[in-house]
Amino acid sequence: MNWIDKQRNIVDFALSSLLRRWKKNLALLCVYTFVVFIVASVVFFAEALKREAGLVLEGAPDVVVQRLVAGRHDLISRGHMEKLGSITGVSDVKGRLWAYYFEPSVGANYTLVVTEEAAGRPGTVAIGAGVSRTLQAGEGDLIAFRGHDGAYVSLEVARVFPSSSELVSADLVEISEADFRALFGLPDDIYTDLTLRVRNPKETVVVADKIRRLLPDTRPILREEILRTYEALFDWRGGIVLAIFAGAALAFIIFAWDKATSLTLEERREIGILKAVGWETSEVLLMKSWEGIVISLTAFLLGLILAYVHVFFTSGTLFEPVLKGWAVLYPRFQPVPFIDPYQVATLFFLTVVPYTVATIIPSWGAATIDPDTIMRQ
Amino acid sequence: MSLIALKGVTKIFNRGRPDEFAALSDVSLEIEPRGLVVFKGPSGSGKTTLLAIVGCMAKPTAGRVFVHDREVTSMPDRFLTDIRRHTFGFIFQQLHLVRGISALENVILPAYPSGEGLASLRDRGVRLLDLMGLAHRAETNIEWLSGGEAQRVAIARALVNEPAIVIADEPTAHLDTKLSLDFMAAMERLKAEGKTILFASHDPLVCESAMVDRVLEMRDGRIVAERRAP
Repeated sequence: MNWIDKQRNIVDFALSSLLRRWKKNLALLCVYTFVVFIVASVVFFAEALKREAGLVLEGAPDVVVQRLVAGRHDLISRGHMEKLGSITGVSDVKGRLWAYYFEPSVGANYTLVVTEEAAGRPGTVAIGAGVSRTLQAGEGDLIAFRGHDGAYVSLEVARVFPSSSELVSADLVEISEADFRALFGLPDDIYTDLTLRVRNPKETVVVADKIRRLLPDTRPILREEILRTYEALFDWRGGIVLAIFAGAALAFIIFAWDKATSLTLEERREIGILKAVGWETSEVLLMKSWEGIVISLTAFLLGLILAYVHVFFTSGTLFEPVLKGWAVLYPRFQPVPFIDPYQVATLFFLTVVPYTVATIIPSWGAATIDPDTIMRQ
Repeated sequence: MSLIALKGVTKIFNRGRPDEFAALSDVSLEIEPRGLVVFKGPSGSGKTTLLAIVGCMAKPTAGRVFVHDREVTSMPDRFLTDIRRHTFGFIFQQLHLVRGISALENVILPAYPSGEGLASLRDRGVRLLDLMGLAHRAETNIEWLSGGEAQRVAIARALVNEPAIVIADEPTAHLDTKLSLDFMAAMERLKAEGKTILFASHDPLVCESAMVDRVLEMRDGRIVAERRAP
């Protein structure tokens, strides 16, 4: 109990010290909180995007095979499909049909995709919430598409995708195979690319190598590669946001360093008094470290809570444009609340620990002076 | 038995540098318990240095210091702090009260690290302030107290750890005659309670007071004369 009471007394005095210099400490707390908020927001948001992309790609095919002509993606024939099916370890080879469609009236690009769900309802489309907003079209409305021959084809909106899937479906138009082929004038044995499953996931790389040798005019794209690309992309975008705020962070570091490492005359005097009236050096340092911990922990928790609200409740309004993309059709993405303890721990060690240490060092210098110097002042 | 003993104590500041000087030179003395001793002398005579060494605030360059017959000269700082905390109460010339906190908080400040519960500490602080006639000012911020009240808060702070010895450096230097007499009256009460009181002063009001048991006159870091009360 004695030890606890001692800590309590010292904490009590540390808090009263902070309150005595409330203007300085409040300013420090605000700037500190802002920096933690920015860094935590970027980390939370980038992580949420990566998780979302990971979830989306979970159902994606193991390998996508695209045909290349003169280094550019070209359409692929059914003949390739048959050759792929002959490779050992490959199962479930399918042709995929998808295309980009530019709508000049709104200046937006849509992604047209043929799915099995759409196959049963020719003459209709299912559209993403972004497309619906841009065209102001809802269920039952007709949308006109300009075909390869210049003729317009009107298709009815059968469904608008729910906003929960907006990150991936914002610019999507789901269309039947017959309508797709008619719109773009594609023969029946031609596909945009091919997808396939590999029975043993460990063999994916080997299968990709076999594809490259068997069909030299194609490139296999592995799901793992896409995942890696997404992660790199979101990390890179997070890096851009951090770079933008690097100025603010630097200003904070200088400000915090100055405030934390230099003691005012009043603070030095106080440390001298404490030593003179019988406080040990270690007790003075304990009191000063409590001051540092209270400031940095409060800023850390406040910044973290604000970042959590910002990212998961207001969809990261501040960096939406940078982190999510720059198309005309901005997805309204509501990230699923998730916190990675490892990231929180990293943030903690990058913010709380250096500040607390920075607070103690100058106090240590002041606290090791002989207490008799106070008698001479 | 002496309460404090100094044997051949020398204190040199800025040793080995061009501005080296000896604040104390070969000082030996014994102080008995329950008395009021005044170190008298002009500025720079070594009074404050002597009090700092006696009060375990500074270590001598040479010589030995005993408190309660226990040698403290070569003790590590941690032990010296412990002795200082439990044996001595200090009243500084400039008072050195912490601004921005109440009189009561100032009084109990030396006892915070003792581990005593805050409630019991506050009770003790209020009792001490009551003894000084300041109970009604306990929660007042130190800046709002008059010079005399602040002086009494400093006395109460010196007593909070119930020390056997009270050390005061030029306690009346900044006080008018009335406040100086009030201060001496407070010291007389402490003496009557059995405490040992050590002053550094050259104020005649202190040095010539009837309650002083012993006056040690200092000059150039040495004790040059001594007068005991009859």
